[in-house]
Amino acid sequence: MRLFAARILNGITLLGLGGVLISFCLKGRIDQYLHPQFRPWVLIGGIAFCVAGTIYLMAKKSMNCCLDGECVHTNRQNPWRAAAAFGVIVVPLTAGTYLSKDGYDKQVVLNRGFVQDISKLPARNSIGSPNVQQGIPPGALGADQDERASAEPPLPQDTSSGAPPKALAKASEPPQTDGKVDDGSEQYLPRAADGNVALEVTDLLYGESEESLRKEFTGKTIEVVGQYLPGSKPNEFKIVRMLIVCCAADARPIAVPVQAGKTVSVADMSWVKIIGTAEFQESGGGKAKVIFKAAEIEPTDPPQDAMLY
Amino acid sequence: MSWFNFSWQNFWFSYLALAFEGLPFVLVGALVSGVIAAFVPSRTITRFLPKNHLLANLMSGLLGLIFPVCECGIVPVVRRLLDKGLPFSCGVTYMLASPIVNPLVIISTYAAFRGQAPEWNTAIRLLSGYFVAVLVGLSVIKVNPAKVLRIGSGRAALQRRSVLSIASLPDAGPDNLSATFIQRLTAAIQLASEDFIDTGIYFMIGAAVAAVFNTAIDQKVILPLANNIFLSTTSMMGFSAILTLCSTSDAFIAVTFVSFPIVARMAFLVFGPMFDLKLFFLYSVLFRKRFVVLLGVGLFVVIGIISAFILPQVYAFVRS
Repeated sequence: MRLFAARILNGITLLGLGGVLISFCLKGRIDQYLHPQFRPWVLIGGIAFCVAGTIYLMAKKSMNCCLDGECVHTNRQNPWRAAAAFGVIVVPLTAGTYLSKDGYDKQVVLNRGFVQDISKLPARNSIGSPNVQQGIPPGALGADQDERASAEPPLPQDTSSGAPPKALAKASEPPQTDGKVDDGSEQYLPRAADGNVALEVTDLLYGESEESLRKEFTGKTIEVVGQYLPGSKPNEFKIVRMLIVCCAADARPIAVPVQAGKTVSVADMSWVKIIGTAEFQESGGGKAKVIFKAAEIEPTDPPQDAMLY
Repeated sequence: MSWFNFSWQNFWFSYLALAFEGLPFVLVGALVSGVIAAFVPSRTITRFLPKNHLLANLMSGLLGLIFPVCECGIVPVVRRLLDKGLPFSCGVTYMLASPIVNPLVIISTYAAFRGQAPEWNTAIRLLSGYFVAVLVGLSVIKVNPAKVLRIGSGRAALQRRSVLSIASLPDAGPDNLSATFIQRLTAAIQLASEDFIDTGIYFMIGAAVAAVFNTAIDQKVILPLANNIFLSTTSMMGFSAILTLCSTSDAFIAVTFVSFPIVARMAFLVFGPMFDLKLFFLYSVLFRKRFVVLLGVGLFVVIGIISAFILPQVYAFVRS
């Protein structure tokens, strides 16, 4: 009876765990938690847990797993331990399914501190010199997609170190030069539906260290989507995105300071779309500090991928 | 602002992320364990190991290249290998080395350090991890497994205290020659399921603790430590223990600590896969608490000394 109860509980634990993983994948919630390259493993894992749980419940126990009466699987015959496993593994995951808001509040941003220097992002430094990466990432000004793809490593990657800024990398729309002379690189700037240049927070930070990008961005009407975090003055705030390497647990807040013409009243960490211009103030050594001058600020829905990679 | 600011919203988000990232790896480890139990005869495990203590431990440090399991899944595998007759010291060496000396980690470390002398950083991480694992393995050769293994963990190791003896107990069940492939496969899945449940409990507790530390503690309290080589090394090892990252992906995190010197980040990459909050609980499946604590302290001291005093010389040589 004890063995039967333990077996049922363990089987339910495996099935419940598999169900939670599959549920997060099917609902698309997993996108908020993991880097894309880890997501398929959650679905595969969920299916594997369900298969294992089914076999565990259905299969006839015809073999002894352990020798001479001293079993390493103490939970196998102990329903209390099986119940503890259910309580520790399945109950919190199920509770998290309902209680998690699939995002952080501002306290995590404050605890972890902002990254406002692109050199603080992954893979920007080398053994010998603190800031070895010279020149623009190959894709930033429109390197061939296949060429960039071949330069990508097969594992989870950041947005730096040879990879182009995300928004620039996905540029595919036809050029809209607004009557200006196209110098050949502007066509690669991504555009929003209203024709504004659509950038990510990371793109603006790349501009701080890349003069060629600063030239591309300066003077153009730019649209940035991110989370609002208040600043020290009523008309100043930060627009924040979280950058993850593997999963949300390692997320690092990336922020660009924004100046608005008037007082801004938006809920902390709510998603906003800001339209304005990027100003770069030279800080020496070929670098600059970006300040985004906001002309319009409006609430918006979170992007499909709330995290940057 | 307080240094500790707990929020359920942040906890759930971080906790679930850690669980989703790590559980598939725990399952892989349990499956490897189940397959070993059901398909690999005891003699096969020890056949490849030389009789000499030193050589056997040196070989065990490379087993991760054959059974590539990260630290989340290593405990059930090692428990199974001990059960199959792997000498205790070799089990410890394999357990500590496998999360670093394995193909997935080699690839991910190389990728993470792209543009930062990846070949050197990957090699230094591998060699450091291998050296530390073998050193610790050799240091427990004289330890009586019965005094450090929990009851039920690795019967063969408990019953044969001779370090290099080959398992001679008759293999029951899955090792039975009469068992069909389907029977073995079913047994492998059943064993993997039970191993997963044993291990998963501790993984989830570790993930919960890590989620609290990850989200509730103000990192500004910790970061000023970066300016001192000794403090930065020890604090990075502390970070790695708290963050409880998977060794297949921790290099991507390590490279982000750019305010810390490279040797401190290397300490992070060597210590973390060998001992962290999650592993403290996982190792408790296999070892008695006192041994787990001693193992953690020993690893902290050894890796700290190597990172603070030897690795700077290595990097100076590399730069030259």
